[in-house]
Amino acid sequence: MASTTAEEQPFTLAVPDADLELLRTKLASVRFPDELEGAAWDYGAPLADIQRLVTHWKNSFDWRKAEAAINTLPMFTHDIEVDGFGTLNIHYVHQKSAVKNAVPLLFVHGWPGHFLEVRKLLPLLTAGPADQPSFHVVALSLPGFGFSEAPKKPGFKGRHYAEVFNKLMLSLGYEEYVYQGGDWGCALGAHAVTHYAHTHIKAWHTNTPFYRRPKFLSNPLLFLGLLTLPFNEPALAGLQRSQEFMKKGMGYYMEQATQPQTLGYSLADSPVGLLAWIYEKLVSWSDDYPWTDDEVIEWISIYWFSRAGPAAAGRIYYEITNRNTNDLFEGTKRTTVPFGVAYFPGEIAQTPKSWSKMLGKVVFESTHDKGGHFSAFEQPEKLASDLHKMFGKGGPAHGVVPGRNGYD
Amino acid sequence: MSEQPFTLAIPDADLEYLRKKLDVVRLPDELDGAGWQYGAPLAHIQRLLAHWKDGFDWRKAEAEINKLAMFTRDVDVEGFGTLNIHYLHQKSEVKNAIPLLFVHGWPGHFLEVRKLLPILTAKSPDHPSFHVVAVSLPGFAFSEGPKKPGFEGRQYAEVLNKVMLALGYNEYVYQGGDWGHLLGAHVAHQYGHKHVKAWHSNMPCYRAPKLLSNPFLTLEPYYSAAARQRISKSAKYRVTGSGYFLEQATKPQTIGYSLADSPVGLLAWIYEKLVAWTDEYPWTDDEVLEWISVYWFSRDGPAASVRIYHALTGGSTHDSFAGAARSTIPLGVSYFPKEIIQLPKSWTQLLGNVVFESEHDKGGHFAATEQPEALAGDLRKMYGKGGPAHGVVPGRNGYD
Repeated sequence: MASTTAEEQPFTLAVPDADLELLRTKLASVRFPDELEGAAWDYGAPLADIQRLVTHWKNSFDWRKAEAAINTLPMFTHDIEVDGFGTLNIHYVHQKSAVKNAVPLLFVHGWPGHFLEVRKLLPLLTAGPADQPSFHVVALSLPGFGFSEAPKKPGFKGRHYAEVFNKLMLSLGYEEYVYQGGDWGCALGAHAVTHYAHTHIKAWHTNTPFYRRPKFLSNPLLFLGLLTLPFNEPALAGLQRSQEFMKKGMGYYMEQATQPQTLGYSLADSPVGLLAWIYEKLVSWSDDYPWTDDEVIEWISIYWFSRAGPAAAGRIYYEITNRNTNDLFEGTKRTTVPFGVAYFPGEIAQTPKSWSKMLGKVVFESTHDKGGHFSAFEQPEKLASDLHKMFGKGGPAHGVVPGRNGYD
Repeated sequence: MSEQPFTLAIPDADLEYLRKKLDVVRLPDELDGAGWQYGAPLAHIQRLLAHWKDGFDWRKAEAEINKLAMFTRDVDVEGFGTLNIHYLHQKSEVKNAIPLLFVHGWPGHFLEVRKLLPILTAKSPDHPSFHVVAVSLPGFAFSEGPKKPGFEGRQYAEVLNKVMLALGYNEYVYQGGDWGHLLGAHVAHQYGHKHVKAWHSNMPCYRAPKLLSNPFLTLEPYYSAAARQRISKSAKYRVTGSGYFLEQATKPQTIGYSLADSPVGLLAWIYEKLVAWTDEYPWTDDEVLEWISVYWFSRDGPAASVRIYHALTGGSTHDSFAGAARSTIPLGVSYFPKEIIQLPKSWTQLLGNVVFESEHDKGGHFAATEQPEALAGDLRKMYGKGGPAHGVVPGRNGYD
């Protein structure tokens, strides 16, 4: 039985002074490596960038100011019972629309993302133009991320994440809802619909569509489509970017999927280590997004001050891939609830668009000319507009949630 | 600049700084029952940290290290100016001892030669003796690292060869494991016959054979259980133990920030390998912390050491043997049961001209530390009277 709303607690972020003091002490004694001449981004995050960011973190970044702004978001925590794992205290943003029949939407972040990626979308989704559908938005911190508790023992799989999502939405009175996610939000979306499509999840959308290569027996037409690939220029360009990522950008994935604890000591202990580990992705995975130092440091701070500590977040790679012995979609099956995809040019893993069909029943597609992996943060208007089109009047997923079509 | 004696003397300020850092370590939690499944266990790291703070005596370790015959000298590297290279040079009392260059890997260092020294340099009518040179690779321990990109197999080999020539060893033999093995292929290719007369590896591995050029070798795993078994032992390393390799080969700077700034981060990163890659070697806390300290206090810092992965693999675009064709100089190999990469023994002939092979029932990746007698014994057999590489260095056959 789902927990009742009565157990929901309002959440105020209040990092203890002692934690700020420890961080200050550590930042005051950072030891930097050197760097090869002319390295730029060839070896990872550049030294000049990291030094500038550390200086900003030490001298200019105002955590309390950032914290106060975060606290203007409607945030809560709720104990969620997870089969075999006891209760996890889950943190989330819950922004209701003034439109009573707004569509309940669960927004799920990835790594190195967090719940605040929903921030710029909130006004667009909950209080957009009157002729566009409105949403009640729920954006949780995944277990082990942000201010949610982490599981305490091994074996927290896709179905457990899905269970958390579903129980959370049910606890808020959303028996039926739609789902939006990128990065892990996409992979976990596949897990969520596997268990709750139709019964609870009525449609889903991803801004980072990627999937396995088609196998001849299961997807003969798509498999044969591989033969025409050399003649499909846009797909080729996308595949090239994917190959670049697979060759040069998967070190973090391999380490997190196989030795997350080893890596975790560095991320927990070294602010500059954590900064570099994440900043490298913020830049290389986005489409020339003009990150301000404040944006970067706030982003890193969510990890630094996270409830379970920065080492916990990487464990999702280990658990879902079974220590690198299967891919992210193991245990999922294709469902027939309406599925929408957004293609952004700066996305890191670009598989041919036709492969999205294997992931779900594609009823909505959009292709953008700007934006990367963190599209909710980089291009919120474009992403919100996609959701408006998909769920709005005349849209392919309009009215999927009975009684909550987004309009009063 | 010619050879200078080298005394390790870490400034007090550096010790103080480390102490300060150790005082404010923030540890992660750990999943219940994690064991070694997720990486270095929390209880181990906590224990090592406590010892590092309150038990480990660096000055004592430093004094012991300083008993070794250490030197530095400037080595010119074409296109890279001079690098000041640190090395150990222990001569045997046997005048005609065989000059042997010992090359470490990552996360190893020059001290891995330590236990071999008394054995290899000992004089006896029953076995050959060696003059031993153990170089700190550029960017490791107390050797300067290159300051710009492009320092690859060729350049590492150039440094190693120039050190030997500078010491008056125009002809010598080579021993290595890990990067010592991979660079051995480069040294043998570049200087085989002319300077390097024979080489030995305790981590013999090479590219897999191609069906068209080596049909029998390629097909061997299909009919040989022994070959299959060896390959399957490598699977664990490939699937669950090579994350560090991919990160270091693609983003060495990114991981470098952690290794330079966090003593516990560096400790865990290396300790995980010290245990996973050895054959139940009974590491003492002092041994581990001395090992980590060499990285922490290294001249160019810990981040410099991991660049070799990027340099030798072209940023993960090719394997480490690129540019090193097979040399015909005699090659000896030692197989240790817990080595991380194991391939069918028949494939070793693709690596070089195998004249000596031995297989042991104990020992892993850090053979010089774990099984120094076995490793030294192999070298004695290989180069001793009646051995397959006896007398390869003219005038220096190991006996007076």
